[in-house]
Amino acid sequence: MNEQITLSEDERDCYQEITNVAMGKAADRLARLLGVYVVLPIPNVNIIEINEFKMTLKSLEGNATVSAVCQGFIGAGIAGEALLIFNDASFTDIAKLLDYPGNLDKHEELEMLMDVANVLNGACIQGIGGQLDIDFSQSHPVVLGQHCSISDLLNDKQNAWQRTMAIEINYTIEDHNINCDLLLLFTEDSVLHMNRLISFLLED
Amino acid sequence: MVSKVLICDDSNMARKQMARALPDHWPVEVTFAKHGQEAIELIKAHEFEVMFLDLTMPVMDGYETLEEIRKQDLPIMVLVVSGDIQPEAQERVKKLGAIDFIKKPVDQARITAVLTEYGIIGEAPNE
Repeated sequence: MNEQITLSEDERDCYQEITNVAMGKAADRLARLLGVYVVLPIPNVNIIEINEFKMTLKSLEGNATVSAVCQGFIGAGIAGEALLIFNDASFTDIAKLLDYPGNLDKHEELEMLMDVANVLNGACIQGIGGQLDIDFSQSHPVVLGQHCSISDLLNDKQNAWQRTMAIEINYTIEDHNINCDLLLLFTEDSVLHMNRLISFLLED
Repeated sequence: MVSKVLICDDSNMARKQMARALPDHWPVEVTFAKHGQEAIELIKAHEFEVMFLDLTMPVMDGYETLEEIRKQDLPIMVLVVSGDIQPEAQERVKKLGAIDFIKKPVDQARITAVLTEYGIIGEAPNE
């Protein structure tokens, strides 16, 4: 990789605004699914070193208090992963909102996690794609640490990725103990390509 | 007569998009604010006819801004422009005194329709 990815202030602002619109759509879908009001934050857009990110992921592994679902997306020369990290304490409240009776077993927790991940990831990825005129295809969601270990996932991409653009959205649900983080990670090549795509939005 | 319009959004791109989406035949003088607090100060110092207000902003968000406008009884018509399209968000801002809600990304046809509906601008002149 010769060209190092960077973001100008305008580019960061543009990704933030695009995300803002996309996450609004995702929140609307979740709000309708659960019958709640989703509090929308200001999204964080940053270029991060993959090594830093690995440490964050490592700390998730073996952490009994969070669950994470990862879903790839690809289209028009842009590829990335959406990672949804859930605080396990949220499950009880989501279960109540979705009318699951009694205590949840592992299987039901998984089903719920997938439902929410599908809604949030899907709407957000399509929302971003829609604004950039890209039709993203999504892979099936994978629960991290369940169907694959985080170390495997990281080793896979070890050499390909040095730096990445990370968009971080923290969703909370009003009056409920529900909290999740959605991380969108784009490959280096994708960011270069996207920077070209958004340049038309930034023209005066 | 030139209308004085305030556009309040933390995103530079969103401010520009909003300004571009204003009807072509509407003579306006546009002022920008980066967050609610800046908007409130500007509203107190100058007279604006209309404000286009974003919801998710640092320092003072759109909800707080609407509350402040009501508390201080500031004379301005507020149109909320937001990506937060939850029905609850739309109800809340209307309860707080916003005259209408416009979804992001904005387009000129919708903006023109809303401004015409509330009599802020007249019908478009015949080309």
